[in-house]
Amino acid sequence: MSAADVCAAVVPGVAVSGAWLSAALDGQAGHLMQVTDEVGRLLADLQLTLGEGPLLDASASGGPVLASDLADGDSGARWPAFAPAACRAGAAAVFVFPLVIGAIRAGVLGLYRDRPGPLSDFQLGDALVFADTATMLLLDAGQGQAGEGAAPGGQPVGLASYRAEIDQATGMLTEQLGVSITDAFVRLRAYAYANDIQLADVARDIVARRLRLFPDLASEG
Amino acid sequence: MDGQLLSETFVELTDTMVADFDLIDFLHVLTSRSVELLDVSAAGLLLADPRGELRVVAASSEAARLLELFQLQSDEGPCLDCFRSGRPVSAADLGAGQRWPQFASAAEQAGFCAVQALPMRLRDQVIGALNLFRATAGPFDAEVVDVGQALADVATISLLHDRSMRRTDTLNEQLQTALNSRVVIEQAKGKLAERLGIDVNAAFTLLRDQARNRNQRLSDLARAFVDGTQAIPAPSGSPRASRSGTGQPRLGPRPAPPRPAP
Repeated sequence: MSAADVCAAVVPGVAVSGAWLSAALDGQAGHLMQVTDEVGRLLADLQLTLGEGPLLDASASGGPVLASDLADGDSGARWPAFAPAACRAGAAAVFVFPLVIGAIRAGVLGLYRDRPGPLSDFQLGDALVFADTATMLLLDAGQGQAGEGAAPGGQPVGLASYRAEIDQATGMLTEQLGVSITDAFVRLRAYAYANDIQLADVARDIVARRLRLFPDLASEG
Repeated sequence: MDGQLLSETFVELTDTMVADFDLIDFLHVLTSRSVELLDVSAAGLLLADPRGELRVVAASSEAARLLELFQLQSDEGPCLDCFRSGRPVSAADLGAGQRWPQFASAAEQAGFCAVQALPMRLRDQVIGALNLFRATAGPFDAEVVDVGQALADVATISLLHDRSMRRTDTLNEQLQTALNSRVVIEQAKGKLAERLGIDVNAAFTLLRDQARNRNQRLSDLARAFVDGTQAIPAPSGSPRASRSGTGQPRLGPRPAPPRPAP
């Protein structure tokens, strides 16, 4: 499975009209990787052209932007140029999910509906799970330097249950390895996979300073 | 209960909300004040993630074991029961019951005997819970429960504070943004702890003090530090000597925010 497959699967999965996915591996606005239809492409383009819109807001805040009715006053006030342009393009509601893990930015998943209305609680929960999956797949696809020890695509590792230690360990590895937060997370997962240890257990050992990783070789010290 | 401390706490909390405040920092202060005011040993706030998990967003101490104990309740425990029922849940003696075997044994190992969970409610929706731990067994006073509930309500209001609540979408946006801010702060704690050779609890205190000194939002500084665009120097003197490890933020006011030009 690739991140593009997630884009196709999320449309029937949460009952939206279309979706787009852009990758932003170096914290930039990124490039469009996948769209399910022409409206999705227009929505992604519009925001870059107009310099405003839910995509840019979601990238800035690190949280989703849910606009269930682009024709209402709130959306109009929030995005005076984007909202009417998106309506003309054929969208009535837009939901944008930043693909982030803290300061790690992998991209953005955008959804739209041709009729107004919010995502239900179930649909929102499912959309977030699709977004998590796309995040991990994008990180896997972008981790050329991590070597063959990386976790295989298609199986997001260790996001089932939130653990603060995983985030702390990722932060510690940026220092130990002298790499970005994104690469530190890739290396953490690669180490867990290569040694067949749960990600949370590796993280706990790193935070307790029982384990250090070293640049170049993901080997135990 | 100390009446003066109570009024000071509410003045401090509401004062903060009027300014441009950082949600995670605010909730950290709120849990710390809960400990002082309600005479409990530890307090933590958990928010419901739409993916179906309760997640710690703030605690009176950043000690890893305590965070873990709060987080355990995503599977079982008073917070989960409180979240599901929307009602306060109390356990006066964790050793006595078999209601939450895994949670009770972890809590006891950490030295806690009694626990109280209070719902964060917004109209008909429950969005999370405030959790109080005490080292001694016995029921919680009605006054403690009432004031604790008021503090939980203040936490709810603070979540909604940034924007108007006319849009139903806003709450979910704020929840997710808060949870991701918490992740950024954990990443920054780890990076700072490793760089300075201190523990993550001390790293949090330093990060928070630095944010206040620079008059910057905690999550913004945490993100800039992780991205490498802002540095955080070691504190003068021994890093372990100064307050680190207590997890209690100082009461002192933050520097006055810059006034908008007239």
